[in-house]
Amino acid sequence: MALPNQQTVDYPSFKLVIVGDGGTGKTTFVKRHLTGEFEKKYEPTIGVEVHPLDFFTNCGKIRFYCWDTAGQEKFGGLRDGYYIHGQCAIIMFDVTARLTYKNVPTWHRDLCRVCENIPIVLCGNKVDVKNRQVKAKQVTFHRKKNLQYYEISAKSNYNFEKPFLYLARKLAGDANLHFVESPALAPPEVHIDLAAQQQHEAELAAAASQPLPDDDDDAFE
Amino acid sequence: MASTAKTDPEEHKREDEENAPAADDEDTGAQVAPIVKLEEVAVSTGEEDEDPILDLKAKLYRFDKEGNQWKERGVGSVKLLKHKVSGKVRLVMRQSKTLKICANHLVLPTMTVQEHAGNDKSCVWHATDFADGELKEEMFCIRFASVENCKSFMEMVQEVAESQGKKEENKDATATADLLEKLTVEESKTDGKEPEEKAAASEDKEEDAAATEEKAKTEDEPASKA
Repeated sequence: MALPNQQTVDYPSFKLVIVGDGGTGKTTFVKRHLTGEFEKKYEPTIGVEVHPLDFFTNCGKIRFYCWDTAGQEKFGGLRDGYYIHGQCAIIMFDVTARLTYKNVPTWHRDLCRVCENIPIVLCGNKVDVKNRQVKAKQVTFHRKKNLQYYEISAKSNYNFEKPFLYLARKLAGDANLHFVESPALAPPEVHIDLAAQQQHEAELAAAASQPLPDDDDDAFE
Repeated sequence: MASTAKTDPEEHKREDEENAPAADDEDTGAQVAPIVKLEEVAVSTGEEDEDPILDLKAKLYRFDKEGNQWKERGVGSVKLLKHKVSGKVRLVMRQSKTLKICANHLVLPTMTVQEHAGNDKSCVWHATDFADGELKEEMFCIRFASVENCKSFMEMVQEVAESQGKKEENKDATATADLLEKLTVEESKTDGKEPEEKAAASEDKEEDAAATEEKAKTEDEPASKA
């Protein structure tokens, strides 16, 4: 569901509520999907930030309005007021911080009070980190409460598409739904004059000397 | 769902890499009623009329001018696609798994790729990008898994840019040649010699003249630049 000032679209859209303790990576995860970047810096979310996120599937384009809520209590804003009319949810915890997993039942309880019978995915984030405090086998909450569980890493992109894929399949009742290539439209002709080209080359030379954010990391998934 | 996992070769790779539990994709979710009914639709990649002339795994970055830093744009396959009819070449990169577009722009004769100063597996270029369906000025950096891949990419882009440039030059040359030919034909016409050849030539001439006119229009600016 869109905010009043947000444009509505002519294809199916769903309100997705994302909850979990502060610093577990909710905003970073959403940002990764929106722009591709990986934000290392921690800036707590105040209240809520809503971002539309589109996916192309074999059943057409769909949109999640991601309600990225504050994890920190002091910035909580309307709290469960944000959950109203939520159609699906992600509960995030950090596998390198045990307390964030211990708090999952509280997030789940609050969510279920407002949204009954919606598909929910539990995400254990930061699985790229060597020193985990919560091992995969220790994660059992999803079995008790019938949630789907994914180990993810917003940093390495491990399983990063799975929560959205799972929710889309449940919302459409189609286990075979999958992501497809979005149409790559023909780029229009552009004319670059000599002056502009020289400016680009100067800018480029400066940019080429800036280091890459993850130069040390050689692994592609 | 287990069967779909088997058909995806990357699924296995990741399981090995991450040593994830076997029941990674086990559905433990509750039975919930679907809220929409979606029909299967025809899927178009938009690449149907093109042939890939290069396809490599890579990581793409865009330069954030405000923050004066490179930011990740996506990890996936970068392709150079050559149009089957026009011969135009564009660069298209898609994010793996979600298959969304991270870059989509023409390889113009003016495009130059430079090495990245600190990383010999990376190179940078400027483009007017159409990934989001609107034209945006972007500086891109791409990082490959190996120095060799980076080299092949740079060489291929260079080659394409040059050949696209030559194509424009050729158009110029053809146009000039056509004009000359026209003059000669017209001269010979007044002489009244070789009627057969003349007929064939004038047939060509008509087409060429039209093409010349069109080219003259489009080539005007680059020609004056040179």
